[in-house]
Amino acid sequence: MGVAALMAVAVGEDITPRARAQLVGADHGRVVPPVPIPNLAVRCADGTSATLDALVRGHVTAVHLMFTGCSTVCPIQGAIFQRVQALLPDQRSTRIQLLSLSVDPTGDTPAAMRRWLERFNARDGWIAAAPSFQDLNVIWDLFGQGRNAVENHTTQVNIIDRRGQLIFRTPQLPSADSIADILKRV
Amino acid sequence: MLVGVLVLESAAVLADPANAGTPTPEEEFRRGRELFEGKFDLQGRIRTHVADLPPEVVRCGNCHAVADGPEVPRSLAPRLTHELLIKRRSRRGGPASNYDRSSFCALLRDGFDPAHVLISVEMPRYTLADGECAALWRYLTGSGGNETEPH
Repeated sequence: MGVAALMAVAVGEDITPRARAQLVGADHGRVVPPVPIPNLAVRCADGTSATLDALVRGHVTAVHLMFTGCSTVCPIQGAIFQRVQALLPDQRSTRIQLLSLSVDPTGDTPAAMRRWLERFNARDGWIAAAPSFQDLNVIWDLFGQGRNAVENHTTQVNIIDRRGQLIFRTPQLPSADSIADILKRV
Repeated sequence: MLVGVLVLESAAVLADPANAGTPTPEEEFRRGRELFEGKFDLQGRIRTHVADLPPEVVRCGNCHAVADGPEVPRSLAPRLTHELLIKRRSRRGGPASNYDRSSFCALLRDGFDPAHVLISVEMPRYTLADGECAALWRYLTGSGGNETEPH
């Protein structure tokens, strides 16, 4: 991160999402300062288009990166989210949601993402979306933690507060219990 | 009384399918392949978790290719070959080491490689019977015991 960007932060000026994401250096734990989720277009599993910030604002959101053509860690990530849903029976009233965010925009069509959700018996409150290929770098900067390849994506879970700010990163492959616990505390 | 206990223990041993007889190498190989490919469920969990994961997400073959078999698309997990396991080499920056059946089983159960370096958290740890572990070792190396490459 350059001096200009640091000074911009110091005086409260707005900076690009990419530069802002570079502020976040810690591997896991609280993200200080919180990082606003950028306004970038995503395709949702239900076939609609949205922006990522609009998708998360008003909810406490747990986000993991995944791609549906992955047989390795992604099914484990899916099984963990499935268990989180079982631990959060009142997601609707608490406005807690889970987001599977694809890092394979070309492969993950809405239909593929629907099959992903169905595979893990996802209920309301678990959504899936994919950015455009052009915006993938923003996703890597924000969530990738240096693991910026589709096949080597991070398995951390990112917690976003109701104001649409990234506030916490878990370690790799956190337990469902720990995710549910964090979500209830935000 | 002691005789009674011994009789009961003997009966239990005989009733345990794991002790139903020593498998032939071919049977052990086949059993290992079936375990590897997920035809039989494996019990595994992430090191930091308190519960097992569904068996279908902890299959060995989800991540690892074997010998000269087909690759696992878009997987970075190592292809498991006889040479990879048996040949002495540095793993994860540790001193040169090689697997034998005992250290292979320790890896699957506890996540330590033969140089006692902890492997990635993303590799599940498995609850395995000795026979299951031996079968997987047989399948991956063609070896039945603790044979290793001379060094």
